[in-house]
Amino acid sequence: MRRGGAMAEAGRGMLKALNPLGKLVVCFVWLAASVLVFDARFQLAAILIPSLALIVLNRTPPLVVLALMVPFSLFGFGFLTTSVLFRQESDFALRMAGESPLASPAFSAGVTLFLRALACGMISAFFALTTDPGALVRALMVHARLPPRIGYSLFAAMQLVPDLAAEAQQMRYARAMKSGRRLRRLPGPGELVSLVIPLLAFAIRRAGRTAIAMEARGLAPDAPRTITQAPVFRRRDAAFVLVALAALLLCGIAVVVDPAS
Amino acid sequence: MLSDPQPPDTSPAAEWREVEVSYPFPKQRAAGPVSLSIGRGERVLLLGPSGSGKSTLLLTLTGLIPGSIPASVDGEIRLFGEDAAKRKAWDWASHVAQYFQDADQTLCGMRVEDELAFPLENRALPEDRIAAHVTCIMQRVGLPDTWRNRRSTTLSGGERQLVALAATLVQDAPLFVADEPTAHLAPEAAGRLHALLTEDGPDRSVLIVDHRLEGLIHSVDRMVVLGRDGSIIAEGHPRNVFRERRDLLISQGIWCPVSCALDAHLSEAGLEPPVAPLSVEEALAHLDPEAAPREDLAKARPAVEAFVAASTPSTSDAASIGPALVELRAAECAPFLGPTVLRDIDLTVHEGEILGVLGANGAGKSTLGLCLSGLLPLKAGRRKGAPGGVAFQRPENQFTGGTVIEEVLSAMPRGMNKAEKAERAARALADWGLAGFELRHPLELSQGQKRKLVLATLTASDRWPLLILDEPMAGLDARGVATLVAEIRMLRDRGRAVAVITHDMDLALRLCPRSIVVGEGKILADGPTRQLMQDCALLKRAGLAEPSCAGAVRWLKRVAAC
Repeated sequence: MRRGGAMAEAGRGMLKALNPLGKLVVCFVWLAASVLVFDARFQLAAILIPSLALIVLNRTPPLVVLALMVPFSLFGFGFLTTSVLFRQESDFALRMAGESPLASPAFSAGVTLFLRALACGMISAFFALTTDPGALVRALMVHARLPPRIGYSLFAAMQLVPDLAAEAQQMRYARAMKSGRRLRRLPGPGELVSLVIPLLAFAIRRAGRTAIAMEARGLAPDAPRTITQAPVFRRRDAAFVLVALAALLLCGIAVVVDPAS
Repeated sequence: MLSDPQPPDTSPAAEWREVEVSYPFPKQRAAGPVSLSIGRGERVLLLGPSGSGKSTLLLTLTGLIPGSIPASVDGEIRLFGEDAAKRKAWDWASHVAQYFQDADQTLCGMRVEDELAFPLENRALPEDRIAAHVTCIMQRVGLPDTWRNRRSTTLSGGERQLVALAATLVQDAPLFVADEPTAHLAPEAAGRLHALLTEDGPDRSVLIVDHRLEGLIHSVDRMVVLGRDGSIIAEGHPRNVFRERRDLLISQGIWCPVSCALDAHLSEAGLEPPVAPLSVEEALAHLDPEAAPREDLAKARPAVEAFVAASTPSTSDAASIGPALVELRAAECAPFLGPTVLRDIDLTVHEGEILGVLGANGAGKSTLGLCLSGLLPLKAGRRKGAPGGVAFQRPENQFTGGTVIEEVLSAMPRGMNKAEKAERAARALADWGLAGFELRHPLELSQGQKRKLVLATLTASDRWPLLILDEPMAGLDARGVATLVAEIRMLRDRGRAVAVITHDMDLALRLCPRSIVVGEGKILADGPTRQLMQDCALLKRAGLAEPSCAGAVRWLKRVAAC
């Protein structure tokens, strides 16, 4: 039991320790394959492989993985209903899906589109949950020659996302206090809409402050600078890329070899 | 491309010549005209009431105004003998380390370790030297190693301020400029930082804007005081200025150290200290109970007693406490989306009570305040009582109105008629020194004025039976604090309860008959503030310090024993 836990911990560390650019390339290739291969079994594989890697190796709670898939499911559900209700418009998809094992061509195509939305979401979640934004930006600056000004702007924008939730909550406190109403645990649609403009103003203010902070601390447009703790490429990155691409190839071959079964 | 960090000659480190600044909105003068210079190795303290243009003046130094913040700047600014405008702000970073008033303006939202490494990376230092500098500054400032991987935005207000100061100090620039560097720091951390700011070698120039003078004033070579109109009204060594221009400073609502009041009491008794004192100990140095003549001690005693009485709550303050207003029982408190920081909290706040909430940075005081108000649900346990109003630590989080007057009106009770609302709002703005700012956007105000607006909004509406004020002193000038103290006492007299979260031991002692000390994930102590302030072990354990008048209390005890 203890040994299994230690292995999982090592795996979790391993996914996070991988070079973000290696992961980025693998995820882009898998995303491209999901878009191009119109087969429900392939899409299922593209969902299961990253989700199993997250749950087993990254110790991500299955509930978190499921919760992350909710918006993608809603998005995919739109494809499903569109495909079932508007058959004429999805003629190409129906023809493609007509060869799949699912009974009704319209439903089959809808399911494949639904799964494709989930697969794209899961691959993106895999990258987001196993990658430190700071390490990604550093890797891009070192290995992809991203200018530091753009790199740090990108970094600041990524860091802003989690802070928006905290800022929104502070605004909700202030409003609840002034209105005398009890604060609801989750904001309703009306409250959410009313928070958009103040949050946008906060984001603009914050961006301005970050720019001033960076300039005052010496971030120059094109002067040479050191980038500390930049991720380097190691053997394990090569192994990860090879394993991920091999898995993709196997899934692809399985679909090609057995297209109708 | 990188500039040499060593200054080339002996001209002043910084110099403003007839500088005047105006923002485009609103079109009026924001600072100056000012002529001021900071010599090499000189430590200068810049004082002035809220809105006198101190922060604006500092932002002009390396050209952030008008380079990044639009404004018109007249006059000339020179850095180390060079026209400051000839270089961009980033090119001055190796010469000038700037700590801005708001820690969020200094930090970039990265992990603590990255924040500290960032200015050194920009100077292209080798990676191993950067790592060594980061470790060294973390030790000097007292940042725990466990913070390395924490994002700066997940820290408490005071913790962020510590990181921002470390990120500025690590630049090791020959000119260090700090705008209210210790406003949110607990006393022990503030003392440590004051020592760090002023400890470095003779070539390092320091310019500090701060309202918190105790512990800092001894290390200052010269102080410059700006008046309400933004011009210099006094300048010189702190000892001379505080004694000779005391009445002027008080009339302008500018902070004076506590020793000033004792100096005045002793002068009235004909026992003026031979050297103008900067601490209570200095003020009483010529009245050693073992050595001074008996008649001098007898004459000094009433003066010292009057000083101590003015620094402590009167016995009647605690007498009028009513029934329980808000109760927390077996409460567990956690910030929004964060882990539990306080457990087993049992706390009762009574009607007509002023409660002090004390503790080190990151102890969970703000979280406790939100739970006490009922805005933040408890993780476990129960809260009973009326809802409370909160003055947040960062005033900007609180504004919902488009103008200052809208902001005040928006908090008034719904049933109140328009005329009364308008009359009450106008009175509140006048009381808090914000008359004339009615049509400004709240975010256009200075930091001190923003805080005054929040406090004016909460106190004028008189809607909440319980008010929680989270570090209300930060950024306030002396006039603002006097208004705050008067308003809190008025609310108390009307039966309202006020919880004051503060790092200012003098304010807590003067205002709060009862205090709680928060630390180690619980309430460490709950009792009369005067008693808590005498418990040295408790103060040390909680990262607090004794109030400034403690030396006078000890002197009285020694005199009584003689």
